[in-house]
Amino acid sequence: MKKIITLDINHEHYEVAVEPNQTLLDTLRYQLGLTGTKKGCEVGDCGACTVIMDGVTVNSCLVLAMQAEGRQITTIEGLETKEGMHPLQTAFVEKGAIQCGFCTSGMILSARVLLDKNPEPTEEGIRRGIAGNLCRCTGYQKIVEAVQSAADGMKEGHQ
Amino acid sequence: MLLPKFEFHEPKTVDEACQMMAEYGASAMVLAGGTDLLVNMKKKLLSPQHLIAISRIEELKKVDSSPFGLKIGACLSVSDTASSDAIGKKWGALSAGAKALGSPQIRNLATIGGNLGTASSAADLPPSLMAYGARVVLKSSARERTLPLEEFFTGSKRTTLADDEMIYEIQIDEPAPYSGAGYESLGVRSCQDIKIVNVASFITLDGPGGIIKSARIVMGCVGPTHLRAHSAEKILVGEKPGEAIFARAGELAMQDATPRGAAFSRASAGYKKDMVGVLTVRTLGTAWKEATGERN
Repeated sequence: MKKIITLDINHEHYEVAVEPNQTLLDTLRYQLGLTGTKKGCEVGDCGACTVIMDGVTVNSCLVLAMQAEGRQITTIEGLETKEGMHPLQTAFVEKGAIQCGFCTSGMILSARVLLDKNPEPTEEGIRRGIAGNLCRCTGYQKIVEAVQSAADGMKEGHQ
Repeated sequence: MLLPKFEFHEPKTVDEACQMMAEYGASAMVLAGGTDLLVNMKKKLLSPQHLIAISRIEELKKVDSSPFGLKIGACLSVSDTASSDAIGKKWGALSAGAKALGSPQIRNLATIGGNLGTASSAADLPPSLMAYGARVVLKSSARERTLPLEEFFTGSKRTTLADDEMIYEIQIDEPAPYSGAGYESLGVRSCQDIKIVNVASFITLDGPGGIIKSARIVMGCVGPTHLRAHSAEKILVGEKPGEAIFARAGELAMQDATPRGAAFSRASAGYKKDMVGVLTVRTLGTAWKEATGERN
């Protein structure tokens, strides 16, 4: 039976009627039109559907919409501010870290949580941080460079 | 990939969850992190009529440490298990297991209780927990029972859990003085894979530079459930720790292992056996270092 729940996504509240067997991923994409979150393997292997929930990354294909009620959710659409794109987004564009783009949302959200926790990651740290996100174009090198470049830029910005 | 239809329940307390389990029995399953259960439901391997989500029950996320040991709530996430100072300080092999599991996203959802309930012999947390001699507390509306983790697993994907029972807590005793443990796992990749072999070892010495008083070695992926390397453990007791005796223990652990290998598996039986030997030696080395105070 459908139930009306309130989801807190990118600091906005959305009232949606959801079925118990509906995932957060499908709710984001099909009911709320937030299609920046991608649907890949659907079984928690690829990381394309990564969102940030209460400060940590999760595979939204493995979270029921009803379980997400009351949690703070950030999707890729929530990263851009009035000032423009997030430094990670800019770095991905500038470094050519986007090929087909399917993994990009998840990659950037994983990188964002990584940099929140550790603003000066090593290359190894970056690789571990994005270990749950698969890039089928295998463009990992440029992705790692983009995260490194964003980290460097954000550090300078703070000084 | 659609999930089969079910009714969703989110009890606020353990008692409420147990009452629901009593009411729905075999038609209900407990949903913790969902990283195994929802995948199996998507693949239509499971289709419970009721899901009882326990992820909002705070009591199940505790890490209580006392001079006697640890009490860990079943719903503590694997990432919180990996980053807990209380766990890392004295039960480093459990932290090592938690860090080796899945991917960051999976670790954030998956729970320690779920990793036990799934009862895969390739799971990352049971070897260390069994090596530390952990117990599980199972609860239902009618009763509560505590049993050694070793007795909880009854076979591949099988446990002693009754239809109306849930895993409530994991208890680990304070390690005896001059104890140490190690965990090592081998996979195809360093992340997001199913282990080929994993081993945890725990030893207690009778004093600094003394002989081995007790030893527990637990091997994964080489039997229907995690196995104790009994003959390897036996040969260690009463001996002074050292490379030669560890190598002998590794050889015996290989004999204790009963891998299936071949078509259904990720590696041949012979390879798994060889790696059991290697990982046994390595984990005993880590355990020895810790037992003599040389922490990593």
